[in-house]
Amino acid sequence: MLIEILGIIVIIMALRTLLAQNREERLLCLNVIGFSMSAIIGLYIQTPFGAIIAITFFVTSTLSSNAIAYSLGRVKEEIMVK
Amino acid sequence: MNEILGIILAAIISWFNFVLIDTWMGLPESPGVKGAEIIGRSIQKRGGNLAGGFFQGNIVCSPDASAGTLLASIACFTIGTPEGGLIAAVLVYFGNRLCADPGYAGTTGALSITAIIYLTSFIGFKPEFFIVGMVLAILTIQGLYQTGASRLLGKLAQKMGRYTKIS
Repeated sequence: MLIEILGIIVIIMALRTLLAQNREERLLCLNVIGFSMSAIIGLYIQTPFGAIIAITFFVTSTLSSNAIAYSLGRVKEEIMVK
Repeated sequence: MNEILGIILAAIISWFNFVLIDTWMGLPESPGVKGAEIIGRSIQKRGGNLAGGFFQGNIVCSPDASAGTLLASIACFTIGTPEGGLIAAVLVYFGNRLCADPGYAGTTGALSITAIIYLTSFIGFKPEFFIVGMVLAILTIQGLYQTGASRLLGKLAQKMGRYTKIS
């Protein structure tokens, strides 16, 4: 029941990511998927090591979001392929 | 306690826990890490509020009170109620430092939700309600309508005296 609710949230956010207008908006939606995925990991692997995996996954995903957001500021003049 | 009712109440408690701690710690005031400013400006460009945008950017770019709330709930669920939250608080602290964030919002959020989970366990709340509740709370902030959420966060920052001075 709990994992199903989280799964529905992941699917809604995945569709929302496809419909997003620009990259910053997409990054915020991906962050919600990161939250849901680490919650699913914690609820599915119900052992102390599961919590460590969930925490490590979440912290590393914010670390990569940090790097992506930082580099988005530098690629404003990038030429888009249409 | 009824599962659905518990999840909804837990979502409301988690929402207030992380929004109040983050605003109090000054997340809307300035972008703590470099990437947060770019996200804040993008939300402002789409018609949102700059302080709310910085708040959302800071959430994405570094583990703050929202991450502390989620991870402490997960650790309380799998490890045990007070000790799991303390382990999560230490790991969130390391995560803050890895992201070059000088603040203590994540650690404070993890410790406060551990206290809330411990106290509400006496009236029938389970830690797993808070896990799903926190995901629902972050969905309302970042998932559904980002510009509207940023305006709400901006108003809250103004009321708490934490509005950004950058324009």
